[in-house]
Amino acid sequence: MRSSINRRKFLTGVAVGTTALTAGALRPRTAAAAASSYPDWIPASPKPPKRGGTLTRASAWDPPVLDPRLTQSIGLFQFVGHTSSRLVRYAFPEEATGVTDPTLKGDLAESWQASPDHRTWTFKLRQGVKWQNVPPLNGRELVAADVKYCFEAYAKEGVQSFTFREIEGIETPDKYTLRVHLHTPNVLFPHNVAECVTVIFSREVLEEDGDLKKRLIGTGPYILKEHTRKVRLALTRNPDYFDKGRPYVDELVILSTPDFATRLAAFRTGQSDILQVASPSEVETVRKTNPAAVVQTYKNVLAPFGLALAQDKPPFSDLRVRRAISMAIDRQKQVDTVFEGHGIPGWGVPYMYYQDKAPTLAELGPWWQYRPAEAKKLLTEAGHPNGFETTLFYYEYWPQMTSQVQIVQQELKKNLNINVKITKLDYTTYYGRYVEGKWDGMAWGFQSGHAVGLDERTYMYLHSKSTKNFFRVNDSVIDELTVKLRRTPDRAEQAKITKKIVDRELDQVLRMWMPYDGGFLIYQPNVRNMAALALRRPDGYGSPTVARLWLDK
Amino acid sequence: MQKYVIRRLLLAIPVLVLSSLIVFGLMRVMPGDALVALMGESGNVGERELKKLRKDLGLDRPYHEQYLIWVWQMVSLNPGDSIFTNEPIPVALKKSIPVTLELATLALILGLAIAIPVGVLSATRQDKPADYVGRVVAVSGLSFPDFWLGTLVITFAAIWFRWIPPLGYVSIWDDPWRNLQQFLLPAAVLGFRLSAATMRMTRSTVLEVLREDYVRTAWAKGLAGRMVVYKHALKNALIPVVTIVGGQLGTLLAGTVVVETIFALPGMGRLTVEAILYRDYPVVQTNVMLVAGVLVTLNLLVDLTYALLDPRIRYR
Repeated sequence: MRSSINRRKFLTGVAVGTTALTAGALRPRTAAAAASSYPDWIPASPKPPKRGGTLTRASAWDPPVLDPRLTQSIGLFQFVGHTSSRLVRYAFPEEATGVTDPTLKGDLAESWQASPDHRTWTFKLRQGVKWQNVPPLNGRELVAADVKYCFEAYAKEGVQSFTFREIEGIETPDKYTLRVHLHTPNVLFPHNVAECVTVIFSREVLEEDGDLKKRLIGTGPYILKEHTRKVRLALTRNPDYFDKGRPYVDELVILSTPDFATRLAAFRTGQSDILQVASPSEVETVRKTNPAAVVQTYKNVLAPFGLALAQDKPPFSDLRVRRAISMAIDRQKQVDTVFEGHGIPGWGVPYMYYQDKAPTLAELGPWWQYRPAEAKKLLTEAGHPNGFETTLFYYEYWPQMTSQVQIVQQELKKNLNINVKITKLDYTTYYGRYVEGKWDGMAWGFQSGHAVGLDERTYMYLHSKSTKNFFRVNDSVIDELTVKLRRTPDRAEQAKITKKIVDRELDQVLRMWMPYDGGFLIYQPNVRNMAALALRRPDGYGSPTVARLWLDK
Repeated sequence: MQKYVIRRLLLAIPVLVLSSLIVFGLMRVMPGDALVALMGESGNVGERELKKLRKDLGLDRPYHEQYLIWVWQMVSLNPGDSIFTNEPIPVALKKSIPVTLELATLALILGLAIAIPVGVLSATRQDKPADYVGRVVAVSGLSFPDFWLGTLVITFAAIWFRWIPPLGYVSIWDDPWRNLQQFLLPAAVLGFRLSAATMRMTRSTVLEVLREDYVRTAWAKGLAGRMVVYKHALKNALIPVVTIVGGQLGTLLAGTVVVETIFALPGMGRLTVEAILYRDYPVVQTNVMLVAGVLVTLNLLVDLTYALLDPRIRYR
């Protein structure tokens, strides 16, 4: 007897079943409004902290090497801020007035003062700070000569050299005093040594091993106990940490987990205490299975990505072309669609240095509004009534970026008849080509993701002579203003100059910032004092804030 | 037989030389290098420093010199250090090979454990529901990409069972139970894919053999069905199956790349992919040569297995 089930019936059944299964998993995305209401600032817990426990984080990153002189990779700096201290740090949550408060506090330094001409900075070090009690340091005291040695090593070779080469010489009049002489005045020098990548490493390890590839010993709240490449980093509490009584958590474990779905699953099942997600709908997905999870929205103080144009060559050397392109792009559409309504239109200098509130799209000025008719007129005036052909290369840092690139391509074609040929590259090819700075056409460009200091975000990224000037800005007004900013000690005056820099940048469309969203940080409900993001986050480019964190178990 | 093996081994030499030239050439054609990747997004390093670092690593030498140096390193079993991590390559391989080996072995076992019984069942129940189910499973295995299936498995395991394999690889020698938990799902994902083609081949060859005269004779003699199928038919049907399995080992190794990434296992696949992304020439070249060597050896072993399965086959 023949069966009544034939191949077609079977395949139909399977297709229906699979569709139903997938539909169940990928439920419709909810509106962004609910997710956007999550706070960007969660105050410190009023409860007395509890000691103990293990905090685990499934992380996308893995450190390529342990030597902070050789890389600024987030893979390394996601934990170096836990093992090692800086001279200066940003205020802890309970010390800060809000999420964007950029006030500097002493980390290894207790106080610091500039000479009247701001070419000499004197740092008074905290006394009694001990290196971690592991060989060859064995808990000896940190002295000014250690910091001098470290800064000189940074200047000599490696990825920090540009920052430290502004140092002319360093003196250590006594064990706890460090006097730094700069080649030129810089009122913002403390900002530069507060960056999370400027950690103090140990002289003994470098001298014994010849490098810092195998051991990383610092004065921070955690001791690096284990580093198994592509598996885990384990950090154990430093009982001799100078901030007495801290840290509270006994052990930090960072599990190398490159796939997002696995990190999400690890959070859902409690294997990971912290999760970063990109979009409001992803937050809602997590909240469905973990309703008690605490969600913190990322406070975007800047957009690290934008359209970089070869502005030293035609046609992009023509200001009218840059303005036309900027006006042909609908940034609000990107915010609404790609970032599900949660994101910023994009700007480059952190707004907290010149105003209290994040700029709106309207405040960015006329060239940043979506006005395709005017854009077309301007491009015609510039001698390109029929548009032109150009190229754009990029690396997909996250999936939304591809959508942004495609929207820009479509809008430039539709509004200006500019044909953009897109090339998607792998990271190494993209980075090499972009940083070399000899490309033509356009790139989906970036500025460093970790830096928050005013000097880094102005002089270092915008001055025509800086090696970090990836957007190839060459503007005499900007050059003059950024140098002037370095010589202006008064905060109010600094804010005015910074605003002038921003206005000039926006008016001349020197870096065509694109919408951005840092996403959300989600953590298990028993994690306390996760702190505010950007300046003092305990994950990503980490900081000693992690020492204030505790587990309410 | 001995002559055959020696001849096959000698033939492997040009294959390996060609592989080495291809991988060396492809890596040099790709733009960017490990130093650029290592610098992160610093922008702090000038061309002078990069030149010095490239010189220190021998990346400024002519290509033919670089190739010969590398070949010599491989021949002398000292492939050097990773440019990106500075870790000696043998150390990295010593850590990653057991992971991939365990994953591939488990996947192979699971794949065969699914494929052969389902294939036989499908053949002996031709055009019955069991056959349809088996064929649908096989088509699904061929259709579902590893990354999709792996993601789905880990997502639904987390949602439905509040469980996923424990993260943070541990060796089977340190904690066998935890290790088994870590490998079961990824091996199942890989094994499912592997089982598909093997199951289809088993089904068709068993069907073919079941129509042979000697099988009919076995039925006519009144032998039990199980005896006819498993003793007389299956053994003779397995030769093409072995060929298929041998051919799929390459696919299996390729599949480990994705599955190791999803399940956070520090195996050869992940090591190779990251090395490619970061232009870590020595690591990529060594890994590719290792895999090429393994595949050449496996193909030889597959050929030799024929003789074991069918005494009529003799090599000269």
